[in-house]
Amino acid sequence: MSESTGITASTLARQIINRHPQVSSRPLGTNEIELVVPSDKIRGVVTMIDENVHDALPESIFGIDLENDKYELIYIFWSHSNRMLVQLRVSLEGERPEIDSTCDIFPGFEWHERETREMFGIEFKNHPDPRLLLLPDELEGVFPLRKRFQTDQSRLDETGIAPPKARPKTGGDDE
Amino acid sequence: MQFDFFTWLAGIPDWIYGILQWIYHLIMGIFFWAWGVIEWLWASVFAPESFMFLFRAVLFPGLIFVVLTLIWAVWFTRKLWGRIQDRRGPVHMGKYGGLQLFADAIKLIAKENIIPDNAKRWMFRFLPGLLLVVVLLPFCFIPWDFDYWFIADLSVSLVLVFAFLTAVPVVALLAGWVSGSKYSLIGGFRAANNQFAAEIPMIISSVGPAILAGSLSLMGIAQAQTSVWFAVLLPINLATFLVAAIASVGIFPFDAPVADSEIIFGWRTEFTGIYFTLTYFAEFAEQMLYSALIVALFLGGPVGLPFLPGAVNFIIKFIITFFFFVLVSSSFQRLRQDQIVHYCWKYLLPLALLNVVIAMLAIVYLPGIAALLPLGGP
Amino acid sequence: MSPDILDEAMEIWFGPQHVSAHGWATKLTLVGDYVVECDPNAGYFHRSAEKVLEYKNFRQGSLVLERMCMLEAFLAEYPYVAAVEKIAELEVPERAKIMRTIMMEMSRLHSIQFWWGQFNAELGFFTMALWPWVDREYSLDAFEELTGSRHTVSYSTPGGVKYDFTDKVLKQLDRAIKRFEDRLPKFRDMQMGSPTFRARTKGIGQYTVKQGLKWGLSGPPIKACGVPMDLRKDAPDPNLAYNMCDWEVPITENPDHPGESDALDRMEQRFKEAETSVQIIKQLLPQLPEGPIIDPKARAKANRLPEGEAYARVEGTRGITSLWLKTQDKAQTAYRAKIRGPCIASYYALKDLVPGAKFADFIVIFGSLDPYPGWWDR
Repeated sequence: MSESTGITASTLARQIINRHPQVSSRPLGTNEIELVVPSDKIRGVVTMIDENVHDALPESIFGIDLENDKYELIYIFWSHSNRMLVQLRVSLEGERPEIDSTCDIFPGFEWHERETREMFGIEFKNHPDPRLLLLPDELEGVFPLRKRFQTDQSRLDETGIAPPKARPKTGGDDE
Repeated sequence: MQFDFFTWLAGIPDWIYGILQWIYHLIMGIFFWAWGVIEWLWASVFAPESFMFLFRAVLFPGLIFVVLTLIWAVWFTRKLWGRIQDRRGPVHMGKYGGLQLFADAIKLIAKENIIPDNAKRWMFRFLPGLLLVVVLLPFCFIPWDFDYWFIADLSVSLVLVFAFLTAVPVVALLAGWVSGSKYSLIGGFRAANNQFAAEIPMIISSVGPAILAGSLSLMGIAQAQTSVWFAVLLPINLATFLVAAIASVGIFPFDAPVADSEIIFGWRTEFTGIYFTLTYFAEFAEQMLYSALIVALFLGGPVGLPFLPGAVNFIIKFIITFFFFVLVSSSFQRLRQDQIVHYCWKYLLPLALLNVVIAMLAIVYLPGIAALLPLGGP
Repeated sequence: MSPDILDEAMEIWFGPQHVSAHGWATKLTLVGDYVVECDPNAGYFHRSAEKVLEYKNFRQGSLVLERMCMLEAFLAEYPYVAAVEKIAELEVPERAKIMRTIMMEMSRLHSIQFWWGQFNAELGFFTMALWPWVDREYSLDAFEELTGSRHTVSYSTPGGVKYDFTDKVLKQLDRAIKRFEDRLPKFRDMQMGSPTFRARTKGIGQYTVKQGLKWGLSGPPIKACGVPMDLRKDAPDPNLAYNMCDWEVPITENPDHPGESDALDRMEQRFKEAETSVQIIKQLLPQLPEGPIIDPKARAKANRLPEGEAYARVEGTRGITSLWLKTQDKAQTAYRAKIRGPCIASYYALKDLVPGAKFADFIVIFGSLDPYPGWWDR
């Protein structure tokens, strides 16, 4: 592990924007920065973070449903030695949007990507293990965290989960 | 010959008499046979010396006594564990929770027996009972007292006890195999591994007392300690025997065969209800057996306070030894199975051998020690 | 690994019915006694908390979060409260800041005490498992006196805290701290001085900082590698009182492999964490100023939040615990709330960390990372 010299959020943003001019930045706080990344540049940006920040901690990936088939993906990195927080924001569109997987660069993202896929229907290309993470198999392709997923009983048939049986009134004698 | 009606007529009474006689002999034969059985029973059961043998075999120090001690041992272990672990142990059933085990046993017996589909049913039902029998049988060779209050005394009883004890992990391995569960199978092999690790040091440790006593009988070994306990001459062997015994039983810290956080309950995973109760009792019976063996081999058996009966002396020492089992088993983290083999073979085995050699050298070169032993002085 | 080896492999499900697997299941592929493949499975504890948060208003939300990990409830509920405070720009009174911090550190202490017990139970040492659990009762008593609940405390609320310290609470906090300080040297001796514990944990589950960071580990598993990564110092929260006292981030250096940590280091790290917690509490208790415990306007302000996004983090017992909150203008509920539990990384890490280890060491590796299923299943 090489002890690289400290890097500030703005320096990192400048380096990334120099390499990928489509990226734009927005400060969030002291040494906290948000980069708006086009979806095809995500691997390049994440690779640059991995190269330039020696102790980058992949905190999380998660999706946001903006309705009308618009989605946002947020990637969050934390660097302890630089006290730096980097947040990447990727806008996606479509019924089943797609983006490159980054879990070969940061293995810690693997499960976050699996979860985002099952919850929002965002496909991560070249993901090594695209199984469901948290949901039961009946909920494949239902995407519960999308806003159009209703949580009332009306969707129970669609999930394939059997509704709970009414409790028999006369003890256990029936069976 | 011409048929003579009157001769025939005169022969009828003889014929009837013959039939009556045949019936008489039949009845008498049965009667005398039954009488013989009753006489034999009388002679073997109720004749004073035979009756007392049965009394010893069944009541004290035989089966009933051992089972009661077993119940006490379970209660004692749980209570002591409770005290060591900053809690109270069983308190509700009976005075000081003394009836807790009965309550547990009734609950376990009343439970449904679940036999897995993959299990070999006949063996699955048979093995727990066999295990308990195998563990309880060696108790008949324990010399609770020098005269009268013991059951059997064979010239090779030490070897026989170890022969029985070697069967225990075989039963465990079989139980793991027939349970039809992967965890049970792993546990069975770990039980075999434990025995593989612990048996050699344990037998080597018991070689010391056997050599010093010049006998392979437990009674003979106990009698040889009337002037000096072998714990004095063979202190390291006592320690190695204790550790190897704990490893062989498979309680903490050598409980890899039933490590509940790793393999659920090892080879006992699939046993429920009465089958589980039997295996549970067998574990405690094995601890008790090893405690009794330690008392007989190293702590002088019935030798002790002169104003107490020998059996009482034995039981006092037995309780103290059992206390050490509980103490050790509540003070260490569990060892991995390869570490068990490592410790038993690398440390226990050389130490056990070393003590035997030292004791033999002491007998040869230190005058006075040999006179204490039945080997005879110069 | 050649394909012939895998022909003899045994697949074994560790959970979800396993006694150690409380809410998780891992598929292990064993060759002999070695794990060659580990496939952690999540989802057995999933309660769709993120969807639930979209239907709860901003004062109810923290109640959902504390149910993610009830062992560190004061810490678990805080990210939501902090995120709401950031968006609503609420002021927190000085007294509430200090009270929050004290209770969060008590929560950390309680969680570590629970973990000691759990880890030792997994290692088969129930004495050390039950001793910290007795001390834990003292903390729970204080929680109960303060909030009326032992685990689901719901203490912090946007703009302050819900309940004021009474004299009895202060007395009970004092008692819990004193009890812990009394027993800590004994625990340290029992744990770090135990040869069986060292044998089981030394060199087990070893990884470098770089590996740990790539998996996303944070908190004690990283601090045990000698990196003082701690949000309490790195990104001090203005609504907490960590900068009002003098303390150092505890780290543990592995003497043989600098920059790496094994299960033994992680245990040592937990001791230091608990000591640091006590140090912080003892400094903060006398600094407690008089004053209100909640901003009186906070309740109204937290009813409807302006549009905004906030990312609030706290250093939990197990690592970085955070919540990302997005609200719409005048909304009563969150538009999107993402809970990031620390344990999703430590459970995922088993996939790379376990292969090559012995089967018996799997639970040691798992336990030393202290994963809690609520944090990855949410």
